[in-house]
Amino acid sequence: MKQRFFGKGLLLVLVSLLMVAALVGTSVADEKVIKIGTLFPLTGPVALAGQRCRAAVETAAEVINNAHPELQVPLAAQEGLLDGYKIVLIHADHQGKPDVAKSEAERLFDQEKVWAIVGSYNSAATKPASFVAELKKQIFMCGCSSSGALTERNFKYFFRMAPTDKTESIEFVHYIEWINETKNAGVKTVGLIYENTEFGKHAAEEGRMAAEAKGFKVVADVAFNPGATNLNSEVQTLKAANPDAVFGACLGGDYTLWVRTMKQMDWLPKVALNYCTGYQDPIIAGQLGEDANYFMGGTGYAPEFAELMPAVAAVEEIYKAKTDPSVPFDSDSIQEAVALFVLAQAIEKAGSLDPTTVAETLHANEWESPLSMGGKVAFAPGGQNIKAMSMLTQLQGGEYKRVFPVDLADTEPVIPMVPWSKR
Amino acid sequence: MGTFFQVALDGLFNGLLYAVVAAGLSLIWGVMDVINFAHGEFLMIAMYLSYWLGFIWKIDPLLSSLAGGLFVFLVGALTYKLIISHTIGKSAMSALLATFGLSMLLKNVCLNRFSPNFRLLQGTFLGGKTYNFGGLIVPVPQLAIGLVALLLLTLLYALVKRTRLGWAIQATAMDKEAAELMGINTEKIYLLVFGLGGACVGIAGGLLPSYLAVHPEVGGLFSLIAFVCVAMGGFGSIPGALLASLLIGLVEAFAGFYIAPVFKYVAVFGLYLVVVMVRPRGLFGW
Repeated sequence: MKQRFFGKGLLLVLVSLLMVAALVGTSVADEKVIKIGTLFPLTGPVALAGQRCRAAVETAAEVINNAHPELQVPLAAQEGLLDGYKIVLIHADHQGKPDVAKSEAERLFDQEKVWAIVGSYNSAATKPASFVAELKKQIFMCGCSSSGALTERNFKYFFRMAPTDKTESIEFVHYIEWINETKNAGVKTVGLIYENTEFGKHAAEEGRMAAEAKGFKVVADVAFNPGATNLNSEVQTLKAANPDAVFGACLGGDYTLWVRTMKQMDWLPKVALNYCTGYQDPIIAGQLGEDANYFMGGTGYAPEFAELMPAVAAVEEIYKAKTDPSVPFDSDSIQEAVALFVLAQAIEKAGSLDPTTVAETLHANEWESPLSMGGKVAFAPGGQNIKAMSMLTQLQGGEYKRVFPVDLADTEPVIPMVPWSKR
Repeated sequence: MGTFFQVALDGLFNGLLYAVVAAGLSLIWGVMDVINFAHGEFLMIAMYLSYWLGFIWKIDPLLSSLAGGLFVFLVGALTYKLIISHTIGKSAMSALLATFGLSMLLKNVCLNRFSPNFRLLQGTFLGGKTYNFGGLIVPVPQLAIGLVALLLLTLLYALVKRTRLGWAIQATAMDKEAAELMGINTEKIYLLVFGLGGACVGIAGGLLPSYLAVHPEVGGLFSLIAFVCVAMGGFGSIPGALLASLLIGLVEAFAGFYIAPVFKYVAVFGLYLVVVMVRPRGLFGW
């Protein structure tokens, strides 16, 4: 008798559980959500940059999902997309490893059922992850990975916001020509130092081509393994070749090690120009203190650009609440926010959640982007943003001063770099 | 010629740093047959301790290194007591996997508590200082670490070879049961050895923020190179670890400068393979 009672009770509990599960399932299915995957290096050597990129995408999602009429960015005034769809972010970590990036992209699409992915900071990780998206005919929005090779694959579902290494290399060479003409800088030779990755190798290749095309001789080509315990041989090689200008592609901790090793070896080129690297990271610049000064690089955003990009400040406040009140957007993280804002505009304009329709809409239109220096975003075949712009800055007194192009400059560059002994 | 000596000097300094990291690992392996996978993370936590002492209380890494040594000695002893002691007498794999788990734990705790930020100490006593001897630049932080490494290795060697405690350590390493029959408390010896291994790497880690950024991943490559030094020098041999570390430092520097910087670790690991093929027990192994 007792057993029969227990059996009936158990059956009742199971039926109740099934009903609750069915109800919950229905409510989730009815909920109007667009799942977007974010894929960044949240751990590993460049985790700091990855976590900031994630926070930037979260910032964009918050602005899109909620009404923020005070913000001067597209879709801020309304709530959600397509009459009530909300963006839900699913975060994944590729640890800076291409193989992990590929498997995480597969997991995001196959198991998490995300509709698109935003990522992935490291070009080496973006390459396989976006390949997965292309195969599945799903959209991949790339904020800041700068390897030009990414947009030379003629992919239809891949879109990149940032300028490429090629654009930056040409800008570096224009700058050198300008300082030779106007400041009598006497720069004739170039050295390259770069991490031995997809990003670094491509940046160096573009740097070499741009420099040689304008008659500059590349006298040092120094690749190194990221995360090295020291960069002594690397800096010794540069010092022995003594190039007038150095193009650098050193991320995160490697950048600090490079700068400090140059200081120890008491050597500097006349000009040190950096791609999308540790140079643009305001925290790293702060940690290096005085030693960071007089280095230069391509910069898509810094707080000092406020007058050029007035819409950023208010959005930046939301971003700071998600990271650290003292950490503003940087050139890389802001591009990831742009990626989601542009994607959201395309979904709204397409009026559809069919990835192919939205991808075609992305290609066919020009998008408002107050968080980009160019103010607009438009894509060439292959997915490169042809409106992407950056300018050259130089760290002076711990601030990113705009120095080139001249019409946007607010400060004269210091050339040559002040020697270590005179700082 | 000046460049040759500069490269050699850089190589020697790197080698001495690897030696002090490898010494503790070698001692632990030699006595206990345990490969401590968390050794690189021991270095990392000492670096964090030194960084925070410097950042908050302006204590120079020169002093913090002592705190680093003491702290990681305690971490090492605790690691033995709480983790390793449970794996003694079981498969060698269980200790290895346990320390691997510990390394993941330490790395992720630091990642969680301190974020992945790269942290650099500014204005340290040693930081940025160099001596210039007719063009030969001697970086003071690396010189200090090199001298400390030599001192520590000498003390460690003397402790093992010249003291009653060292004889007890050697006896335990040779035959645990026989040592116990002779009245040696092998449990205490193991605890001490794990602590001493930690103290060596703790002192080195305490000094490193004078010129190296601290972050949760910083121990990884040091740990890998330390394994190579220990295997190449012969497991358990402190002079072997020193010689192998110096060799690795020099090969790394010369290959990096005279062949190509990207080739330096290829040369290091290539040399390791050659040594292991020719002499599987390492240079000084038994």
